[in-house]
Amino acid sequence: MEAKKNRSSGGLFFVVAVTFVWAFASFAHALDVPQLTGRVMDLAHVLPASAVESLSARLAAHEAATSNQVAVLIVPSLEGDALEEFSHRVATTWKLGQKGTDNGVLLLVAIQERKVRIEVGYGLEGTLTDARSARIIRNDIVPRFRAGDVTGGVASGIDAIVRTIEGTYQASERPIPREDTDHLGQIMTAIMVGLMLGFILMNVNRLLGPIAGTGLSLLLAPWLVPALIAGGITLLLLLFLSSAGISGRRSMRGGMDDWMWYSSRGGGWGGGTFGGMGGGFSGGGGSFGGGGASGSW
Amino acid sequence: MTCGGLKQIAISLVLAGALFGSGCGYNDLQGLDEDTKAAWSEVINQYQRRADLIPNLVATVKGYAAHERETLEGVVNARSKATGIQVTPDMLKNPAAFEEFQKAQAGLTSALGRLIAIAEQYPNLKADQNFRDLQSQLEGTENRITVARKRYIDRVAEYNKMVRYFPTNLTAQFLLHMEEKPNFTVADEKAVAKPPEVKF
Repeated sequence: MEAKKNRSSGGLFFVVAVTFVWAFASFAHALDVPQLTGRVMDLAHVLPASAVESLSARLAAHEAATSNQVAVLIVPSLEGDALEEFSHRVATTWKLGQKGTDNGVLLLVAIQERKVRIEVGYGLEGTLTDARSARIIRNDIVPRFRAGDVTGGVASGIDAIVRTIEGTYQASERPIPREDTDHLGQIMTAIMVGLMLGFILMNVNRLLGPIAGTGLSLLLAPWLVPALIAGGITLLLLLFLSSAGISGRRSMRGGMDDWMWYSSRGGGWGGGTFGGMGGGFSGGGGSFGGGGASGSW
Repeated sequence: MTCGGLKQIAISLVLAGALFGSGCGYNDLQGLDEDTKAAWSEVINQYQRRADLIPNLVATVKGYAAHERETLEGVVNARSKATGIQVTPDMLKNPAAFEEFQKAQAGLTSALGRLIAIAEQYPNLKADQNFRDLQSQLEGTENRITVARKRYIDRVAEYNKMVRYFPTNLTAQFLLHMEEKPNFTVADEKAVAKPPEVKF
C-alpha cells in the first residue's frame, strides 16, 4: 500500500483513507442513537410521568389527525457530540414522519449543555420554517427553561410546533404503500427462472415448456398474489414465444420486446405492506435534510 | 425446428446473462451515478438557497451598521464570486472546476461568519425581528449544506469504490466510460464547519 505505483493507486489510498477517517471519526465520539420506544423519550428523567403521558397522548392524537409524527428526546448530555449532527442522526435513524410526505419533527433537549433543537423533516420545512422554529425556541421554550421549568418549556414548545404544522397534511394521506423492492426482485427472478426453464423444455416439448416454466415461477414467487402474477406472466410469455417460435415468422426481437413490456408491467404490481403502528411507536420512513433551528438557554 | 431451437437457446442465454450478469455491476454503477448526481444537485440547491438569503441579510445589516462597509462588501463580493461560477453536471468530471467551486463557497461561508460576528456588536440589530429570522434561516441553510455535503461525500465514496474495485471497474471503464468523481476533502469540511476567527 505504501509503494504507490501510480497516481491512481494514490487516489484509491486517499479515498479509502478518507472513508476510514470518516467512519472512525463518527464511530469514535458519536453518541448512540437511543432505541425509539415512545413519542416522548425522557432519558434525563426531568419530566414527571404524568407530563410524559399527556404529551404522548397529545402527539398520538395529532398523528391520528394529521399523520405528522412529532417526537421529543431529552438527553442528559451530548457527550461532546455536536447538537445538529446528533439531532439529524436521531431523526434519520428514527425515520420520523411518513414515507413520501416526510412530515416528522424532533424536539431535542440536552440538559447539561443547555441546548435545544427543533429538527424538521423535508415535508414540513415549508410551514415549520427555520425562522418559525427559531421563534418557538426563543419565545416558547427558552424563557421557561431559563426559569427552571423544563416541563412547561417542552409542553409549550410542542404546543407551538403542533399548532404550526396542523393543517399541512391530512390523515387520509397516511397509509402510503411502502416500496418493497425485495418482493419485486423475487417476482422478477421467479419470472426469469421460469422463462429459462420453459425455453429449454420447449425444445423438448411444446406444451411441457410453458407448463413447467409457469410451475417453477409459481413456486419461486413469494405468497399467493405475487406467485399468481409471476406464474401468469411466465405462462403468457411462454405461450406467446412458443407460438412465435412455431410459426417461425415472429422475429426474436419482437418476442424480446414483448417480454420486456410484460416484465415492466409486472413490476408495477409489486405488492406492498403498509407502514402501520403496532403497540409501540415507530417512525414511518420520513427523511430529514437538516432544516430547523437550534438555541440555548 | 432446429432453427427455432437455436433461437430459443439464444434467448435463454440472453436471459441467463441478464440474471447472472448483475455481478458486473452495470445496474449498480448506473444507480450510484444517479445517486451522486442527485446528492450533488442537493448541495447546489442549498448553496443557492444561501446565496438567495444574502441580499436581504445585507440590506438589514446595512440599516443598523452602514459603516461596516468592508465586511458588507466582503459578503457581496464573495457572493458574486460564488454565484458567478457556472454550475454544470460536467463539473463533477472536472476536479479543477470542482475545487474552484469549493473555494468560492468556503470564501462566502467565512465572509458570512464575519458579518454575523459584527451583528453581535449592535444590540439594536440583534433585537431586530427581521434580522433574527434571517439569521435563523441562514443557520438552517448552513446546516442543510452540511447535511447535503455529507450525503454527497458518502455517495461519491460508494461510487468511487465501485469504479475502482474489480470486477466492476471493468464495466465502469470499458462499457460505461465512468471515471472517479471528485469529493469534498475533509480539510475543507473542517474549514467550513469551524466558525471563522473574529478579531476585534
